[in-house]
Amino acid sequence: MDRRLAGGEGEATAAPALEIRREQTRARYPDEEGYVERDGVRVFYEVYGHGEPTVFLLPTWSIIHSRHWKMQIPYLARHFRVLTFDGRGNGKADRPVEPEAYHEREFAADALAVMNATDTKHAVIVGFSMGAQRALVLAAEHSERVVGAAFIGPSFPGGGEPLRERWEYDFDTEYDTDEGWAKFNRHYWLRDYRAFVDFFMSRIFTEPHSTKPIEDMVGWALETDAQTLIATMETPALTPEDAQALAARVRCPVLVVHGEEDAVVSVTRGIALAEQTGGELMTLAGSGHAPHARDPVKVNLLLREFIDSVS
Amino acid sequence: MSLLEAQREQTRARYPDEEGYVERDGVRVFYEVYGHGEPTVFLLPTWSIIHSRHWKMQIPYLARHFRVLTFDGRGNGKADRPSGIAAYTEHEFAEDSLAVMDATATESAILVGLSCGALWGTLLAANHPDRVQGAVLIGPAVPLAPGHPERNVHPFDERLDTDEGWAKYNRHYWLEHYEEFLEYFFGRMFSEPHSTKQIEDCVAWGLETDPTTLADSQDALELCGLESFEATCARVRCPVLVLHGDEDAIRPHAQGAALAEVTGGTLVTLEGSGHCPHARDPVKVNLLIRDFVESLERRTP
Repeated sequence: MDRRLAGGEGEATAAPALEIRREQTRARYPDEEGYVERDGVRVFYEVYGHGEPTVFLLPTWSIIHSRHWKMQIPYLARHFRVLTFDGRGNGKADRPVEPEAYHEREFAADALAVMNATDTKHAVIVGFSMGAQRALVLAAEHSERVVGAAFIGPSFPGGGEPLRERWEYDFDTEYDTDEGWAKFNRHYWLRDYRAFVDFFMSRIFTEPHSTKPIEDMVGWALETDAQTLIATMETPALTPEDAQALAARVRCPVLVVHGEEDAVVSVTRGIALAEQTGGELMTLAGSGHAPHARDPVKVNLLLREFIDSVS
Repeated sequence: MSLLEAQREQTRARYPDEEGYVERDGVRVFYEVYGHGEPTVFLLPTWSIIHSRHWKMQIPYLARHFRVLTFDGRGNGKADRPSGIAAYTEHEFAEDSLAVMDATATESAILVGLSCGALWGTLLAANHPDRVQGAVLIGPAVPLAPGHPERNVHPFDERLDTDEGWAKYNRHYWLEHYEEFLEYFFGRMFSEPHSTKQIEDCVAWGLETDPTTLADSQDALELCGLESFEATCARVRCPVLVLHGDEDAIRPHAQGAALAEVTGGTLVTLEGSGHCPHARDPVKVNLLIRDFVESLERRTP
């Protein structure tokens, strides 16, 4: 039975909804914002600052939206122009229902449309986790728009190993357990989306004292829903061969930042991406999947140094 | 495990330029000096449940602008743990503070005190005006307004049949469940969400002392001669800044407000803050301290 329909659950879900509507205050607000529409799907962009070059913070998996860059934006915007957008499926973007709408090439096309709408000829792109895949498409196939590419905890299917604890379970099989990564499963999402989100975010932040970034990410995840995320999973993903071919075509400078304790995407993925793109690799001791949120000063300085070096 | 962690001190953002011991009547306290600026900011000890590392978010910032002096007060850190109530009176803490100033050739300083340390800082400012240029008093534990009623339910010395909430603030409970008491106490100290790091730090510092020492220092605080405290406060002539969180669950905001009033000081109420805003919101508190110190500099001809 759908637990969300069970008595008492209604109250439990009311509180987060209220919190979502009242967005947290920001250290810095955008100087420009707007929507871009492609084939009836709108995404929402923001521009901060006026420096050179433009740093383009790409969307990641639709489980969260562009606020996950909140620790980067105010710092980077003091030195560069910062562009970001809510990718389809979360935040102020639309949530199309067809799986095809969530193909990597759609995300890449949205990114180009956002660049066009904001008169951004080229940019240093930054991708986190799944965002690495759309970043690869952009860097490989639109090299004239990309002057550098930074990858944080890249979910790069073209090399490295999946995490051992994620091997056992696939997305579609109905299991009689919901322990651990068995929760990364369509049936479980439909049964208890909130519990999946709590689990997943706790795996993103394996560092001690991460209650705040976990709470933030859970809140953003509750702005979308299980059906939308299932659609993102049903679209054909980049195959290992696709990813390798894209990596081989990248000509711009590359920086890969990967936490050595990443419990969502193995650090071996990031190592492989750096190797295949000829990029610089920075592994972060003790860090989990989202060091830009958990250790923003360290990551911001790395990003700034990289951006300065390519521009 | 806890002992092991205590022995392996965390790395610091900044290490002292000078350190040493001062001994009075056979009791040693341990001081540190950072930076060379002017004036000296003197970060006082507080109740012996923690030691001078609780200033760790202030030291590196303030030392970039001023000279910073601090010490582990008797009962914790690298200081001795004398036994008996008499070793922990407000008089002994004042004398230790002055001895540390003498040993470091600090003629006068701006005092910063937390909780009980703010009480001692007030007494120093009143009784040694020549040594004190100003005082920042954070979450002051002063008898100018009633305490939280929930802290007045259970006697400290009697064996209780409950250990719910503040019933843990009890000699017998401390002796048998010291770590649980620390976890409870620091949980109340940091009432703000997302305070796991600060709580973990403070619990570890609490474990560097022991319940018997802590009970001695608690008893000494109870005996603190405060009958004429209001008159003492009225003798404070230096500029005073009081910082008090309006969610302070250890010491009511009314105590800080009253202290600011009787000393003619400035009160800054920190919205949403608990008892240790300097540890939980260090940027805000550091800027307030720096502004205050610089405002005194401008006043000096």
